Amino acid sequence: MDYTKSEEVLRALLQVWADFSSKLDALPLIDKLNRGKFRVEDYKTLLLNHRQQVVEGGRWIARAASSIDDRYFELRSKFMKHCVTEHRDFRMLEQNYVSLGGALEDIQSGDKNIGTEALNAFMFHRASQPNPFDLLGAMFIIEGLGQNKAGEWGRAIRDQLNLQDEQVSFLLYHADHDDGHMEEFEEALKSGILDIPGMGESIVKTAKIVARLYLLQIDEIGNF
Amino acid sequence: MRDVYINGLGAFLPGPPVPSNSMEDFIGCINGQPSRNRAFVLRQNKIKTRHYAFGNERGKPYSVSEMAALAIQNAAGQSEISLQDITFLATSTTVGDLILPGTASHTHAALGLPPIEIANFQSVCASALMAIKSAYLQIKAGEHECAAACGSDFPSRYFRPGFYEGTSVMKEDGTLPMDVDFLRFTLSDGAGAFILENKPNERQISFKINWIELRSFADRFDTCMMAGGIKKDGETLFWGDFDSPGEAAQAGAIMLTQDFALLKRMIPVWVSHYLQLIDSKKIVIDQIDHLCSHYSSHSLREETIKLLKKADAMIDEDKWFSNLYTKGNTGTASIFIMLEELIRVKDLKKGENILCHVPESGRCLNGFMLLEVV
Repeated sequence: MDYTKSEEVLRALLQVWADFSSKLDALPLIDKLNRGKFRVEDYKTLLLNHRQQVVEGGRWIARAASSIDDRYFELRSKFMKHCVTEHRDFRMLEQNYVSLGGALEDIQSGDKNIGTEALNAFMFHRASQPNPFDLLGAMFIIEGLGQNKAGEWGRAIRDQLNLQDEQVSFLLYHADHDDGHMEEFEEALKSGILDIPGMGESIVKTAKIVARLYLLQIDEIGNF
Repeated sequence: MRDVYINGLGAFLPGPPVPSNSMEDFIGCINGQPSRNRAFVLRQNKIKTRHYAFGNERGKPYSVSEMAALAIQNAAGQSEISLQDITFLATSTTVGDLILPGTASHTHAALGLPPIEIANFQSVCASALMAIKSAYLQIKAGEHECAAACGSDFPSRYFRPGFYEGTSVMKEDGTLPMDVDFLRFTLSDGAGAFILENKPNERQISFKINWIELRSFADRFDTCMMAGGIKKDGETLFWGDFDSPGEAAQAGAIMLTQDFALLKRMIPVWVSHYLQLIDSKKIVIDQIDHLCSHYSSHSLREETIKLLKKADAMIDEDKWFSNLYTKGNTGTASIFIMLEELIRVKDLKKGENILCHVPESGRCLNGFMLLEVV
């Protein structure tokens, strides 16, 4: 499929999202959450594993920004701004972990699980290519999680474990603050990058890979 | 392969239309108390009137197969065939009158037709499309010249207080939890039917069936709407595995239930299926003149529209047709009843295309049918 219009890319991405979101629900840990059987230990493990990916988020966006040449400098500034808003996020996640009685040094010195390694390696690989706008596909998946899943998970974890909002702030924050990101995403798609031959396809392919690796990351929780 | 046409459309809605404030006169009050969930559920689904197979003028309820037969008779009456021309019958229902044998047998009997071929489809709403597709393929393949397909549902049977009171599903204050009570104010009774032939009507318009496509997404979803079982610790216990039917009923394994949260997670999957059909050019948005979508509740319609607009895949809202609000959500009968009204009230023109959509939350099914007015 050759995607040249932003609507076509969005349509394809929504299909990737649907496949991804339903597979996500089938993962043992998420299934447990959906069944109302989550334990504090599950939440701590999730935070410990997830932090090792989130901490890299600001870095790969910055790397991607540095790979964008001057023809697309407007988009470069968007990547840079996006990077600034994301690069402190892991701190919030660490506080959530500590609020559950976890030791800060444990989460800070935590290793990446094998899924996170794969996801991270792929992100930095793509971000190092010239004009890596295919990473918009990755953002679609990751932002989609923030917008569509984080709030649901945050509320479910809070309610099942009788926690305070501050203890699930990372998840709730993303659900409440990522609203404008999808509009920015659509603007980026319409900024002319789809004139680059094969870019639409490449965005969709990167979304599929990131979705697959994201599932792997959650499926491999605890496998370091 | 031959072309196939819908040449007669019929509906049967038992009794008078029941307004929202009289619903509990028909389905009853649990422990004598009016439901506290009723107003909320009705605000969500926006249904104003519906019909019930109980409490009608003749003093005894209509059965699923009786309503099916009445809808087929109505459809045959609207068509250019006689009832006796039908040689194939496909029925769909959510829960038949008997556990076995199937509804098609009883519907055949109620119609009083000589020996014919039958097929029996049982799921939730989307089994309507299974029945239509079966009749469509039978005619397309040249096995039959004239067939009837129908959908008939009588959920209100199971909404009466005796099906809940005294079970372990009841809350401590003697009321029903939302996920159980919700369906009592969503579903109602009725039947609808089509007559299909291998040639169009001579004196009135017909619907040519261009294609029917159904997909199951049960590979990724647990059961969402269910009767005959109950979820416990992530496992489904089947009513037949209890020591007695009485114990199964006590545990809540007989009643209809719906998992809300799971239902919402199905929407992107249904929308994605629709987008796939757009990408493969089976659906061309500009060529759709009418959309009949069987959404179970107005709130789901709004959620879906949000997603469709994002993907620039929206069919203008003035092309949407639904009689959910006046005829109720009749499950497998809904798409038949909707099309039966569409052809009566809309001034349909030859060449117009009608897209029908039937999602099913049971264990996530989604179906589409494209009709052309000829």
